[in-house]
Amino acid sequence: MAQTPTGGMTDAQAQQRSEAIVRPEKPFNRFRWTVTITLLTLFFVTSATVDIELTQLAALPERTLFYLGLMYTPPDVTEAPSAITAMIESLGMAWIGTMIGALVSFPLAFLAATNLFGKPVVFAARQVLNFFRSVPEIVFLILLLPVTGLSPVTVALALGISSIGTLGKLGAEVIEGIEGGPVEAAAAAGGGRLQRIRWAVIPQVIPEIVALWLYRFEINIRNSAVAGAVGAGGIGTLLVRQIGQVREWAAAGTSLAIMVIITLIVDTISGRVRRRIIRGPTRAVDLGANAGEQPEGTGPGAGPKREGPTGSVGGGAVVPV
Amino acid sequence: MSAAPSAPASRPDSARPDKPPPPPFVLWGSLGLIALTLVLGWDWEYGIGFSLRDIYDNLGRHNPVLEGVRNLDWSTLASPTVLAGFAETFQMAAIATILGGIVALPLALLNSVTGAPNTFVYVAVKNFNSFIRAIPDLIYAVFFVAAIGRGALPGVLALFFLSVAVIAKLTSDIVDGIDQGPVESARASGASHTQMVKTAVLPQILPGYTSFALYTFEINLRGSAVLGFVGAGGIGEVFSNYYQRGWYDRLVAVVIGFFVVVFVVDRISIAVRKRLL
Repeated sequence: MAQTPTGGMTDAQAQQRSEAIVRPEKPFNRFRWTVTITLLTLFFVTSATVDIELTQLAALPERTLFYLGLMYTPPDVTEAPSAITAMIESLGMAWIGTMIGALVSFPLAFLAATNLFGKPVVFAARQVLNFFRSVPEIVFLILLLPVTGLSPVTVALALGISSIGTLGKLGAEVIEGIEGGPVEAAAAAGGGRLQRIRWAVIPQVIPEIVALWLYRFEINIRNSAVAGAVGAGGIGTLLVRQIGQVREWAAAGTSLAIMVIITLIVDTISGRVRRRIIRGPTRAVDLGANAGEQPEGTGPGAGPKREGPTGSVGGGAVVPV
Repeated sequence: MSAAPSAPASRPDSARPDKPPPPPFVLWGSLGLIALTLVLGWDWEYGIGFSLRDIYDNLGRHNPVLEGVRNLDWSTLASPTVLAGFAETFQMAAIATILGGIVALPLALLNSVTGAPNTFVYVAVKNFNSFIRAIPDLIYAVFFVAAIGRGALPGVLALFFLSVAVIAKLTSDIVDGIDQGPVESARASGASHTQMVKTAVLPQILPGYTSFALYTFEINLRGSAVLGFVGAGGIGEVFSNYYQRGWYDRLVAVVIGFFVVVFVVDRISIAVRKRLL
Protein backbone atom coordinates (compact mmCIF):
# COMPACT_ATOMS: atom_id res chain seq x y z
CA MET A 1 0.00 0.00 0.00
CA ALA A 2 2.95 2.29 -0.55
CA GLN A 3 1.95 5.70 -1.74
CA THR A 4 5.13 6.57 -3.64
CA PRO A 5 5.18 5.74 -7.34
CA THR A 6 8.52 3.96 -7.00
CA GLY A 7 7.59 1.98 -3.90
CA GLY A 8 8.81 -1.61 -3.85
CA MET A 9 11.30 -1.13 -6.67
CA THR A 10 14.63 -2.66 -5.75
CA ASP A 11 16.28 -4.01 -8.88
CA ALA A 12 18.61 -1.42 -10.41
CA GLN A 13 17.89 -2.55 -13.92
CA ALA A 14 14.19 -2.27 -13.42
CA GLN A 15 14.80 1.15 -11.98
CA GLN A 16 16.64 2.21 -15.08
CA ARG A 17 14.00 0.88 -17.35
CA SER A 18 11.24 2.50 -15.38
CA GLU A 19 12.90 5.86 -15.83
CA ALA A 20 12.34 5.52 -19.54
CA ILE A 21 8.76 4.36 -19.18
CA VAL A 22 6.76 6.40 -16.73
CA ARG A 23 5.23 4.06 -14.17
CA PRO A 24 1.59 4.92 -13.57
CA GLU A 25 0.85 6.21 -10.12
CA LYS A 26 -0.88 3.74 -7.85
CA PRO A 27 -4.47 4.87 -7.47
CA PHE A 28 -5.42 6.04 -4.02
CA ASN A 29 -8.15 3.78 -2.70
CA ARG A 30 -10.01 5.95 -0.27
CA PHE A 31 -12.47 3.21 0.66
CA ARG A 32 -9.73 0.76 1.59
CA TRP A 33 -8.01 3.35 3.75
CA THR A 34 -11.25 4.24 5.49
CA VAL A 35 -11.83 0.57 6.31
CA THR A 36 -8.28 0.05 7.56
CA ILE A 37 -8.27 3.11 9.78
CA THR A 38 -11.74 2.37 11.14
CA LEU A 39 -10.69 -1.17 12.02
CA LEU A 40 -7.50 -0.07 13.76
CA THR A 41 -9.35 2.57 15.76
CA LEU A 42 -12.09 0.09 16.62
CA PHE A 43 -9.55 -2.46 17.78
CA PHE A 44 -7.63 -0.10 20.02
CA VAL A 45 -10.70 1.57 21.47
CA THR A 46 -12.43 -1.72 22.27
CA SER A 47 -9.28 -3.34 23.63
CA ALA A 48 -8.68 -0.36 25.88
CA THR A 49 -12.23 -0.28 27.22
CA VAL A 50 -13.17 -3.96 27.45
CA ASP A 51 -13.34 -5.43 30.93
CA ILE A 52 -10.29 -7.70 30.78
CA GLU A 53 -7.80 -7.80 33.59
CA LEU A 54 -4.19 -7.87 32.51
CA THR A 55 -3.37 -10.42 35.19
CA GLN A 56 -5.86 -12.76 33.52
CA LEU A 57 -4.21 -12.25 30.16
CA ALA A 58 -0.75 -12.78 31.63
CA ALA A 59 -1.79 -16.06 33.25
CA LEU A 60 -3.35 -17.36 30.04
CA PRO A 61 -0.50 -19.35 28.43
CA GLU A 62 0.63 -20.97 31.67
CA ARG A 63 -2.91 -21.85 32.83
CA THR A 64 -3.89 -23.20 29.43
CA LEU A 65 -0.88 -25.51 29.32
CA PHE A 66 -1.45 -26.55 32.93
CA TYR A 67 -5.06 -27.60 32.35
CA LEU A 68 -4.28 -29.24 29.01
CA GLY A 69 -1.70 -31.19 30.99
CA LEU A 70 -4.35 -32.27 33.49
CA MET A 71 -6.57 -33.35 30.59
CA TYR A 72 -4.05 -35.38 28.65
CA THR A 73 -1.35 -36.72 30.95
CA PRO A 74 -3.01 -39.16 30.72
CA PRO A 75 -6.70 -38.84 29.78
CA ASP A 76 -9.15 -40.92 31.80
CA VAL A 77 -10.36 -43.44 29.25
CA THR A 78 -12.73 -45.15 31.68
CA GLU A 79 -15.15 -42.32 30.91
CA ALA A 80 -15.06 -43.02 27.17
CA PRO A 81 -18.34 -45.03 26.99
CA SER A 82 -20.40 -42.25 28.58
CA ALA A 83 -18.80 -39.73 26.21
CA ILE A 84 -19.68 -41.86 23.21
CA THR A 85 -23.28 -42.21 24.40
CA ALA A 86 -23.46 -38.45 24.91
CA MET A 87 -22.00 -37.84 21.45
CA ILE A 88 -24.60 -40.13 19.88
CA GLU A 89 -27.26 -38.08 21.65
CA SER A 90 -25.70 -34.94 20.15
CA LEU A 91 -25.77 -36.52 16.71
CA GLY A 92 -29.44 -37.35 17.29
CA MET A 93 -30.30 -33.78 18.23
CA ALA A 94 -28.37 -32.49 15.22
CA TRP A 95 -29.95 -34.93 12.78
CA ILE A 96 -33.55 -34.57 13.98
CA GLY A 97 -33.04 -30.79 14.11
CA THR A 98 -31.76 -30.81 10.54
CA MET A 99 -34.76 -32.84 9.39
CA ILE A 100 -37.14 -30.38 11.08
CA GLY A 101 -35.32 -27.49 9.44
CA ALA A 102 -35.36 -29.30 6.09
CA LEU A 103 -39.12 -29.95 6.23
CA VAL A 104 -40.03 -26.37 7.12
CA SER A 105 -37.49 -24.67 4.89
CA PHE A 106 -38.34 -26.70 1.78
CA PRO A 107 -41.54 -24.86 0.85
CA LEU A 108 -40.12 -21.54 2.09
CA ALA A 109 -37.15 -21.86 -0.29
CA PHE A 110 -39.55 -21.98 -3.27
CA LEU A 111 -41.48 -18.97 -2.00
CA ALA A 112 -38.22 -17.04 -1.64
CA ALA A 113 -37.02 -17.76 -5.20
CA THR A 114 -37.40 -14.75 -7.51
CA ASN A 115 -37.83 -16.90 -10.61
CA LEU A 116 -40.93 -18.61 -9.25
CA PHE A 117 -42.89 -16.05 -7.28
CA GLY A 118 -43.63 -12.35 -7.46
CA LYS A 119 -41.91 -9.64 -5.48
CA PRO A 120 -44.32 -9.41 -2.51
CA VAL A 121 -44.21 -13.16 -1.84
CA VAL A 122 -40.42 -13.33 -2.20
CA PHE A 123 -39.96 -10.32 0.04
CA ALA A 124 -42.19 -11.76 2.76
CA ALA A 125 -40.53 -15.19 2.58
CA ARG A 126 -37.05 -13.64 2.74
CA GLN A 127 -37.95 -11.62 5.81
CA VAL A 128 -39.15 -14.78 7.53
CA LEU A 129 -35.89 -16.53 6.61
CA ASN A 130 -33.84 -13.54 7.78
CA PHE A 131 -35.60 -13.65 11.12
CA PHE A 132 -34.70 -17.30 11.68
CA ARG A 133 -31.14 -16.60 10.59
CA SER A 134 -30.49 -13.65 12.90
CA VAL A 135 -31.68 -15.27 16.12
CA PRO A 136 -29.07 -17.51 17.78
CA GLU A 137 -29.89 -21.11 18.75
CA ILE A 138 -29.61 -20.40 22.45
CA VAL A 139 -32.46 -17.87 22.23
CA PHE A 140 -34.80 -20.38 20.59
CA LEU A 141 -33.68 -22.92 23.16
CA ILE A 142 -34.45 -20.84 26.24
CA LEU A 143 -37.77 -19.73 24.76
CA LEU A 144 -38.77 -23.35 24.05
CA LEU A 145 -37.50 -24.91 27.29
CA PRO A 146 -40.34 -23.84 29.56
CA VAL A 147 -42.82 -25.28 27.07
CA THR A 148 -41.29 -28.57 25.93
CA GLY A 149 -39.02 -29.26 28.88
CA LEU A 150 -35.31 -29.80 29.47
CA SER A 151 -34.67 -32.57 26.97
CA PRO A 152 -32.72 -33.37 23.80
CA VAL A 153 -35.99 -33.03 21.86
CA THR A 154 -36.14 -29.35 22.79
CA VAL A 155 -32.58 -28.90 21.57
CA ALA A 156 -33.49 -30.63 18.31
CA LEU A 157 -36.44 -28.25 17.92
CA ALA A 158 -34.25 -25.22 18.59
CA LEU A 159 -31.61 -26.41 16.12
CA GLY A 160 -34.36 -27.13 13.60
CA ILE A 161 -35.93 -23.71 13.91
CA SER A 162 -32.61 -21.94 13.56
CA SER A 163 -31.71 -24.10 10.54
CA ILE A 164 -34.79 -22.86 8.65
CA GLY A 165 -33.20 -19.51 7.79
CA THR A 166 -29.95 -20.75 6.27
CA LEU A 167 -31.48 -23.77 4.56
CA GLY A 168 -34.27 -21.67 3.07
CA LYS A 169 -31.94 -18.95 1.85
CA LEU A 170 -29.41 -21.32 0.30
CA GLY A 171 -32.24 -23.42 -1.12
CA ALA A 172 -33.71 -20.33 -2.78
CA GLU A 173 -30.32 -19.58 -4.33
CA VAL A 174 -30.16 -23.11 -5.73
CA ILE A 175 -33.66 -22.72 -7.17
CA GLU A 176 -32.75 -19.41 -8.76
CA GLY A 177 -29.86 -21.09 -10.53
CA ILE A 178 -31.94 -23.68 -12.43
CA GLU A 179 -32.17 -24.08 -16.19
CA GLY A 180 -35.21 -22.33 -17.65
CA GLY A 181 -35.77 -24.97 -20.37
CA PRO A 182 -37.69 -27.61 -18.42
CA VAL A 183 -39.88 -24.94 -16.81
CA GLU A 184 -40.78 -23.55 -20.24
CA ALA A 185 -41.46 -27.03 -21.51
CA ALA A 186 -43.77 -27.75 -18.57
CA ALA A 187 -45.51 -24.41 -19.13
CA ALA A 188 -45.87 -25.13 -22.87
CA ALA A 189 -47.46 -28.47 -22.04
CA GLY A 190 -50.03 -26.60 -19.99
CA GLY A 191 -48.57 -27.13 -16.53
CA GLY A 192 -49.73 -24.78 -13.79
CA ARG A 193 -47.35 -23.25 -11.28
CA LEU A 194 -47.44 -26.23 -8.91
CA GLN A 195 -47.00 -28.68 -11.79
CA ARG A 196 -44.08 -26.67 -13.15
CA ILE A 197 -42.47 -26.75 -9.72
CA ARG A 198 -43.12 -30.46 -9.27
CA TRP A 199 -41.95 -31.62 -12.69
CA ALA A 200 -39.47 -28.97 -13.84
CA VAL A 201 -37.96 -27.39 -10.74
CA ILE A 202 -37.80 -30.05 -8.01
CA PRO A 203 -35.99 -32.67 -10.13
CA GLN A 204 -33.31 -30.08 -10.93
CA VAL A 205 -32.76 -28.85 -7.39
CA ILE A 206 -33.29 -31.90 -5.19
CA PRO A 207 -29.67 -33.15 -5.26
CA GLU A 208 -28.25 -29.82 -4.21
CA ILE A 209 -30.94 -29.28 -1.60
CA VAL A 210 -30.27 -32.70 -0.05
CA ALA A 211 -26.57 -31.80 -0.06
CA LEU A 212 -27.47 -28.61 1.81
CA TRP A 213 -29.26 -30.69 4.45
CA LEU A 214 -26.19 -32.81 5.01
CA TYR A 215 -24.05 -29.71 5.16
CA ARG A 216 -26.37 -28.21 7.74
CA PHE A 217 -26.21 -31.46 9.70
CA GLU A 218 -22.45 -31.00 10.00
CA ILE A 219 -22.99 -27.48 11.34
CA ASN A 220 -25.73 -28.63 13.69
CA ILE A 221 -23.43 -31.24 15.24
CA ARG A 222 -21.28 -28.33 16.42
CA ASN A 223 -24.29 -26.19 17.29
CA SER A 224 -25.78 -28.98 19.40
CA ALA A 225 -23.18 -28.07 22.02
CA VAL A 226 -25.55 -25.21 22.86
CA ALA A 227 -27.43 -27.77 24.96
CA GLY A 228 -24.52 -27.55 27.38
CA ALA A 229 -25.48 -23.98 28.26
CA VAL A 230 -28.69 -25.16 29.89
CA GLY A 231 -27.87 -28.80 30.62
CA ALA A 232 -30.18 -30.35 28.04
CA GLY A 233 -28.00 -33.37 27.22
CA GLY A 234 -25.48 -34.44 24.65
CA ILE A 235 -21.71 -34.03 24.60
CA GLY A 236 -22.00 -30.28 25.24
CA THR A 237 -23.67 -30.87 28.59
CA LEU A 238 -21.16 -33.55 29.50
CA LEU A 239 -18.20 -31.28 28.72
CA VAL A 240 -19.66 -28.26 30.51
CA ARG A 241 -20.20 -30.45 33.58
CA GLN A 242 -16.78 -32.12 33.44
CA ILE A 243 -14.83 -28.94 32.76
CA GLY A 244 -16.92 -26.21 34.32
CA GLN A 245 -18.61 -27.85 37.29
CA VAL A 246 -17.05 -31.02 38.66
CA ARG A 247 -13.65 -30.34 37.08
CA GLU A 248 -12.84 -33.89 36.14
CA TRP A 249 -10.11 -32.78 33.77
CA ALA A 250 -8.83 -36.22 32.77
CA ALA A 251 -12.35 -37.39 31.93
CA ALA A 252 -12.97 -34.13 30.06
CA GLY A 253 -9.87 -34.80 27.98
CA THR A 254 -11.38 -38.08 26.81
CA SER A 255 -14.76 -36.51 26.09
CA LEU A 256 -13.20 -33.68 24.12
CA ALA A 257 -11.11 -36.08 22.05
CA ILE A 258 -14.13 -38.27 21.33
CA MET A 259 -16.19 -35.24 20.32
CA VAL A 260 -13.52 -33.99 17.91
CA ILE A 261 -12.87 -37.44 16.40
CA ILE A 262 -16.54 -38.29 15.83
CA THR A 263 -17.26 -34.80 14.46
CA LEU A 264 -14.42 -35.14 11.96
CA ILE A 265 -15.46 -38.67 10.95
CA VAL A 266 -19.06 -37.60 10.35
CA ASP A 267 -17.79 -34.54 8.42
CA THR A 268 -15.72 -36.73 6.15
CA ILE A 269 -18.53 -39.19 5.45
CA SER A 270 -21.07 -36.44 4.94
CA GLY A 271 -18.70 -34.49 2.71
CA ARG A 272 -18.15 -37.53 0.48
CA VAL A 273 -21.86 -38.23 0.22
CA ARG A 274 -22.48 -34.58 -0.67
CA ARG A 275 -19.89 -34.61 -3.41
CA ARG A 276 -21.31 -37.86 -4.73
CA ILE A 277 -24.83 -36.38 -4.72
CA ILE A 278 -23.81 -33.24 -6.57
CA ARG A 279 -21.23 -34.55 -9.01
CA GLY A 280 -22.86 -37.88 -9.78
CA PRO A 281 -21.16 -41.26 -10.06
CA THR A 282 -18.93 -40.91 -13.12
CA ARG A 283 -19.43 -37.48 -14.58
CA ALA A 284 -16.41 -35.34 -13.91
CA VAL A 285 -18.34 -32.14 -14.51
CA ASP A 286 -19.36 -30.12 -11.54
CA LEU A 287 -23.04 -29.44 -12.03
CA GLY A 288 -22.48 -25.79 -11.33
CA ALA A 289 -23.07 -26.25 -7.65
CA ASN A 290 -21.88 -23.36 -5.64
CA ALA A 291 -24.45 -23.30 -2.92
CA GLY A 292 -22.23 -23.25 0.09
CA GLU A 293 -22.55 -21.09 3.11
CA GLN A 294 -21.86 -17.78 1.53
CA PRO A 295 -22.76 -14.64 3.32
CA GLU A 296 -25.44 -12.53 1.76
CA GLY A 297 -23.94 -9.87 -0.45
CA THR A 298 -21.29 -12.16 -1.84
CA GLY A 299 -23.90 -14.40 -3.36
CA PRO A 300 -23.37 -17.27 -5.76
CA GLY A 301 -20.88 -16.56 -8.47
CA ALA A 302 -19.38 -13.62 -6.64
CA GLY A 303 -16.26 -15.65 -6.09
CA PRO A 304 -14.85 -17.88 -8.77
CA LYS A 305 -16.27 -21.37 -8.85
CA ARG A 306 -14.04 -24.08 -7.68
CA GLU A 307 -13.52 -27.77 -7.79
CA GLY A 308 -11.02 -27.86 -5.02
CA PRO A 309 -9.91 -30.92 -3.13
CA THR A 310 -11.66 -29.67 -0.02
CA GLY A 311 -14.99 -29.41 -1.86
CA SER A 312 -17.87 -29.38 0.54
CA VAL A 313 -21.18 -28.42 -1.03
CA GLY A 314 -19.31 -28.07 -4.31
CA GLY A 315 -17.83 -24.71 -3.49
CA GLY A 316 -19.47 -24.40 -0.14
CA ALA A 317 -17.89 -24.36 3.21
CA VAL A 318 -18.28 -26.13 6.47
CA VAL A 319 -18.69 -23.39 8.96
CA PRO A 320 -20.15 -23.44 12.42
CA VAL A 321 -22.68 -20.79 11.67
CA MET B 1 -48.08 -31.01 -5.20
CA SER B 2 -48.02 -34.45 -6.72
CA ALA B 3 -51.65 -34.26 -7.82
CA ALA B 4 -50.55 -33.47 -11.37
CA PRO B 5 -51.72 -35.91 -14.02
CA SER B 6 -48.72 -37.91 -15.10
CA ALA B 7 -49.76 -38.22 -18.76
CA PRO B 8 -52.49 -36.80 -20.97
CA ALA B 9 -55.49 -39.11 -20.87
CA SER B 10 -55.73 -39.24 -24.66
CA ARG B 11 -52.37 -40.92 -25.09
CA PRO B 12 -52.35 -44.71 -25.20
CA ASP B 13 -50.54 -46.32 -22.28
CA SER B 14 -48.18 -48.25 -24.49
CA ALA B 15 -46.65 -45.01 -25.81
CA ARG B 16 -45.37 -44.08 -22.44
CA PRO B 17 -41.89 -45.36 -21.69
CA ASP B 18 -41.37 -47.26 -18.47
CA LYS B 19 -40.06 -45.21 -15.63
CA PRO B 20 -36.49 -46.33 -14.98
CA PRO B 21 -35.84 -47.72 -11.51
CA PRO B 22 -34.00 -45.32 -9.17
CA PRO B 23 -30.22 -45.67 -9.28
CA PRO B 24 -28.86 -47.72 -6.36
CA PHE B 25 -27.22 -44.66 -4.82
CA VAL B 26 -30.53 -42.78 -4.71
CA LEU B 27 -32.42 -45.82 -3.41
CA TRP B 28 -29.94 -46.72 -0.67
CA GLY B 29 -29.27 -43.08 0.12
CA SER B 30 -32.95 -42.39 0.74
CA LEU B 31 -33.35 -45.56 2.79
CA GLY B 32 -30.26 -44.56 4.76
CA LEU B 33 -31.69 -41.12 5.51
CA ILE B 34 -34.95 -42.63 6.73
CA ALA B 35 -33.16 -45.29 8.79
CA LEU B 36 -30.91 -42.66 10.40
CA THR B 37 -33.93 -40.52 11.25
CA LEU B 38 -35.71 -43.48 12.86
CA VAL B 39 -32.65 -44.70 14.80
CA LEU B 40 -31.74 -41.26 16.14
CA GLY B 41 -35.29 -40.04 16.67
CA TRP B 42 -36.81 -43.14 18.29
CA ASP B 43 -37.25 -43.37 22.03
CA TRP B 44 -34.56 -45.91 22.95
CA GLU B 45 -31.06 -45.97 24.35
CA TYR B 46 -29.42 -44.25 21.40
CA GLY B 47 -32.29 -42.06 20.22
CA ILE B 48 -33.57 -38.75 21.53
CA GLY B 49 -37.21 -39.89 21.67
CA PHE B 50 -38.78 -37.36 19.37
CA SER B 51 -42.55 -37.33 19.57
CA LEU B 52 -44.94 -34.83 18.01
CA ARG B 53 -47.57 -35.98 20.47
CA ASP B 54 -45.46 -34.97 23.48
CA ILE B 55 -44.79 -31.58 21.93
CA TYR B 56 -48.49 -31.12 21.22
CA ASP B 57 -49.42 -32.12 24.77
CA ASN B 58 -46.87 -29.69 26.16
CA LEU B 59 -48.27 -26.81 24.13
CA GLY B 60 -51.34 -26.84 26.33
CA ARG B 61 -49.37 -26.42 29.54
CA HIS B 62 -48.85 -23.20 31.40
CA ASN B 63 -46.51 -21.19 29.20
CA PRO B 64 -44.31 -18.63 30.98
CA VAL B 65 -42.84 -17.43 27.69
CA LEU B 66 -46.19 -16.35 26.26
CA GLU B 67 -46.98 -14.73 29.57
CA GLY B 68 -43.68 -12.84 29.29
CA VAL B 69 -44.59 -11.76 25.77
CA ARG B 70 -47.89 -10.40 27.05
CA ASN B 71 -46.27 -8.34 29.81
CA LEU B 72 -43.10 -7.20 28.05
CA ASP B 73 -40.88 -5.12 30.29
CA TRP B 74 -39.27 -2.69 27.84
CA SER B 75 -37.68 -0.68 30.63
CA THR B 76 -35.15 -3.52 31.08
CA LEU B 77 -33.51 -2.52 27.82
CA ALA B 78 -32.39 0.75 29.39
CA SER B 79 -31.03 -0.82 32.57
CA PRO B 80 -27.26 -0.49 33.13
CA THR B 81 -26.69 -4.28 33.20
CA VAL B 82 -28.31 -4.79 29.81
CA LEU B 83 -26.55 -1.81 28.21
CA ALA B 84 -23.22 -3.02 29.61
CA GLY B 85 -23.99 -6.50 28.27
CA PHE B 86 -24.62 -5.16 24.77
CA ALA B 87 -21.47 -3.04 24.92
CA GLU B 88 -19.39 -6.00 26.04
CA THR B 89 -20.83 -8.18 23.27
CA PHE B 90 -19.75 -5.58 20.72
CA GLN B 91 -16.29 -5.28 22.24
CA MET B 92 -15.79 -9.04 22.38
CA ALA B 93 -17.00 -9.51 18.81
CA ALA B 94 -14.81 -6.68 17.48
CA ILE B 95 -11.60 -7.82 19.16
CA ALA B 96 -12.19 -11.47 18.27
CA THR B 97 -13.00 -10.67 14.64
CA ILE B 98 -9.92 -8.50 14.12
CA LEU B 99 -7.49 -10.89 15.84
CA GLY B 100 -9.15 -13.92 14.26
CA GLY B 101 -9.00 -12.29 10.84
CA ILE B 102 -5.27 -11.64 11.18
CA VAL B 103 -4.54 -15.24 12.22
CA ALA B 104 -6.96 -16.76 9.69
CA LEU B 105 -5.37 -15.20 6.58
CA PRO B 106 -2.14 -17.25 6.63
CA LEU B 107 -4.08 -20.34 7.73
CA ALA B 108 -6.42 -19.89 4.76
CA LEU B 109 -3.52 -19.47 2.32
CA LEU B 110 -1.69 -22.53 3.62
CA ASN B 111 -4.94 -24.53 3.52
CA SER B 112 -4.92 -24.48 -0.28
CA VAL B 113 -2.80 -26.19 -2.91
CA THR B 114 -1.91 -22.88 -4.54
CA GLY B 115 -1.05 -21.04 -1.34
CA ALA B 116 0.91 -23.75 0.50
CA PRO B 117 4.63 -24.05 -0.25
CA ASN B 118 4.48 -27.87 -0.15
CA THR B 119 2.13 -30.77 0.44
CA PHE B 120 3.30 -31.35 3.98
CA VAL B 121 2.36 -27.83 5.09
CA TYR B 122 -0.90 -28.07 3.18
CA VAL B 123 -1.97 -31.29 4.89
CA ALA B 124 -0.79 -30.16 8.32
CA VAL B 125 -2.61 -26.81 8.16
CA LYS B 126 -5.72 -28.39 6.68
CA ASN B 127 -5.95 -30.81 9.59
CA PHE B 128 -5.20 -28.07 12.08
CA ASN B 129 -8.06 -25.97 10.67
CA SER B 130 -10.45 -28.93 10.79
CA PHE B 131 -9.47 -29.52 14.39
CA ILE B 132 -10.13 -25.88 15.39
CA ARG B 133 -13.46 -26.04 13.60
CA ALA B 134 -14.53 -29.26 15.29
CA ILE B 135 -14.67 -27.68 18.75
CA PRO B 136 -17.77 -25.52 19.34
CA ASP B 137 -17.35 -22.00 20.75
CA LEU B 138 -19.20 -22.90 23.95
CA ILE B 139 -16.60 -25.57 24.71
CA TYR B 140 -13.72 -23.15 24.16
CA ALA B 141 -15.52 -20.75 26.48
CA VAL B 142 -16.10 -23.27 29.27
CA PHE B 143 -12.45 -24.35 29.06
CA PHE B 144 -11.08 -20.82 29.31
CA VAL B 145 -13.51 -19.86 32.07
CA ALA B 146 -12.30 -22.85 34.07
CA ALA B 147 -8.66 -22.04 33.30
CA ILE B 148 -8.50 -18.27 33.84
CA GLY B 149 -11.77 -17.30 35.48
CA ARG B 150 -15.00 -15.62 34.41
CA GLY B 151 -15.20 -12.42 32.36
CA ALA B 152 -14.87 -11.09 28.86
CA LEU B 153 -11.45 -12.66 28.14
CA PRO B 154 -12.62 -16.29 27.87
CA GLY B 155 -15.47 -15.01 25.68
CA VAL B 156 -13.04 -13.17 23.41
CA LEU B 157 -10.90 -16.31 23.15
CA ALA B 158 -13.90 -18.50 22.28
CA LEU B 159 -15.04 -16.05 19.60
CA PHE B 160 -11.45 -15.77 18.38
CA PHE B 161 -11.32 -19.50 17.64
CA LEU B 162 -14.77 -19.34 16.04
CA SER B 163 -13.59 -16.45 13.83
CA VAL B 164 -10.40 -18.23 12.82
CA ALA B 165 -12.42 -21.33 11.88
CA VAL B 166 -14.99 -19.42 9.83
CA ILE B 167 -12.68 -16.98 8.05
CA ALA B 168 -10.00 -19.58 7.29
CA LYS B 169 -12.55 -21.99 5.86
CA LEU B 170 -14.40 -19.48 3.69
CA THR B 171 -11.21 -17.78 2.49
CA SER B 172 -9.37 -21.00 1.67
CA ASP B 173 -12.35 -21.93 -0.49
CA ILE B 174 -11.81 -18.85 -2.64
CA VAL B 175 -8.05 -19.39 -2.71
CA ASP B 176 -8.76 -22.77 -4.30
CA GLY B 177 -10.86 -21.12 -6.97
CA ILE B 178 -8.74 -18.14 -7.99
CA ASP B 179 -7.68 -17.42 -11.56
CA GLN B 180 -4.45 -19.39 -12.08
CA GLY B 181 -3.19 -17.01 -14.79
CA PRO B 182 -1.48 -14.50 -12.48
CA VAL B 183 -0.04 -17.40 -10.44
CA GLU B 184 1.53 -18.90 -13.55
CA SER B 185 2.89 -15.60 -14.80
CA ALA B 186 4.40 -14.84 -11.39
CA ARG B 187 6.08 -18.26 -11.37
CA ALA B 188 7.22 -17.88 -14.98
CA SER B 189 8.90 -14.57 -14.19
CA GLY B 190 10.86 -16.26 -11.44
CA ALA B 191 8.95 -15.17 -8.35
CA SER B 192 9.61 -17.00 -5.11
CA HIS B 193 6.64 -18.66 -3.44
CA THR B 194 6.16 -15.71 -1.08
CA GLN B 195 6.37 -13.19 -3.91
CA MET B 196 3.90 -15.23 -5.94
CA VAL B 197 1.41 -15.34 -3.05
CA LYS B 198 1.83 -11.62 -2.42
CA THR B 199 1.43 -10.48 -6.02
CA ALA B 200 -0.77 -13.15 -7.59
CA VAL B 201 -2.93 -14.67 -4.82
CA LEU B 202 -3.52 -11.94 -2.25
CA PRO B 203 -4.95 -9.30 -4.63
CA GLN B 204 -7.46 -11.85 -5.85
CA ILE B 205 -8.69 -12.95 -2.44
CA LEU B 206 -8.59 -9.71 -0.45
CA PRO B 207 -12.11 -8.51 -1.31
CA GLY B 208 -13.60 -11.90 -0.41
CA TYR B 209 -11.50 -12.18 2.71
CA THR B 210 -12.54 -8.73 3.97
CA SER B 211 -16.15 -9.55 3.24
CA PHE B 212 -15.93 -12.82 5.20
CA ALA B 213 -14.30 -11.02 8.12
CA LEU B 214 -17.21 -8.58 8.26
CA TYR B 215 -19.63 -11.47 8.05
CA THR B 216 -17.79 -13.11 10.94
CA PHE B 217 -18.41 -10.03 13.04
CA GLU B 218 -22.13 -10.78 12.81
CA ILE B 219 -21.53 -14.44 13.59
CA ASN B 220 -19.60 -13.36 16.66
CA LEU B 221 -22.40 -11.06 17.79
CA ARG B 222 -24.82 -13.97 17.58
CA GLY B 223 -22.31 -16.38 19.07
CA SER B 224 -21.79 -14.17 22.09
CA ALA B 225 -25.38 -14.85 23.14
CA VAL B 226 -24.54 -18.34 24.36
CA LEU B 227 -21.16 -17.68 25.99
CA GLY B 228 -22.60 -15.86 29.00
CA PHE B 229 -24.27 -19.08 30.09
CA VAL B 230 -20.88 -20.46 31.12
CA GLY B 231 -19.64 -17.15 32.52
CA ALA B 232 -17.78 -15.84 29.46
CA GLY B 233 -19.28 -12.35 29.39
CA GLY B 234 -21.42 -10.40 26.97
CA ILE B 235 -25.18 -10.14 26.58
CA GLY B 236 -25.42 -13.89 27.20
CA GLU B 237 -24.89 -13.25 30.91
CA VAL B 238 -28.10 -11.22 30.89
CA PHE B 239 -29.93 -13.98 28.99
CA SER B 240 -28.60 -16.60 31.40
CA ASN B 241 -29.50 -14.56 34.45
CA TYR B 242 -33.08 -13.81 33.36
CA TYR B 243 -33.60 -17.36 32.13
CA GLN B 244 -32.53 -18.86 35.44
CA ARG B 245 -34.79 -16.54 37.39
CA GLY B 246 -37.65 -17.13 34.99
CA TRP B 247 -38.01 -13.41 34.25
CA TYR B 248 -39.46 -13.95 30.83
CA ASP B 249 -41.06 -10.49 30.63
CA ARG B 250 -37.55 -9.00 30.71
CA LEU B 251 -35.87 -11.83 28.79
CA VAL B 252 -38.15 -11.49 25.76
CA ALA B 253 -37.63 -7.72 25.74
CA VAL B 254 -33.84 -8.15 25.70
CA VAL B 255 -34.15 -10.85 23.03
CA ILE B 256 -36.12 -8.45 20.82
CA GLY B 257 -33.53 -5.73 21.46
CA PHE B 258 -30.76 -8.17 20.55
CA PHE B 259 -32.57 -9.16 17.38
CA VAL B 260 -32.91 -5.52 16.33
CA VAL B 261 -29.21 -4.89 16.99
CA VAL B 262 -28.14 -7.94 14.97
CA PHE B 263 -30.54 -7.00 12.18
CA VAL B 264 -29.19 -3.45 11.92
CA VAL B 265 -25.57 -4.64 11.95
CA ASP B 266 -26.48 -7.22 9.32
CA ARG B 267 -27.92 -4.53 7.01
CA ILE B 268 -24.91 -2.24 7.43
CA SER B 269 -22.53 -5.13 6.88
CA ILE B 270 -24.34 -6.24 3.71
CA ALA B 271 -24.13 -2.70 2.34
CA VAL B 272 -20.39 -2.51 3.07
CA ARG B 273 -19.77 -5.98 1.63
CA LYS B 274 -21.58 -5.10 -1.60
CA ARG B 275 -19.35 -2.06 -1.89
CA LEU B 276 -16.27 -4.22 -1.29
CA LEU B 277 -16.90 -6.82 -3.95
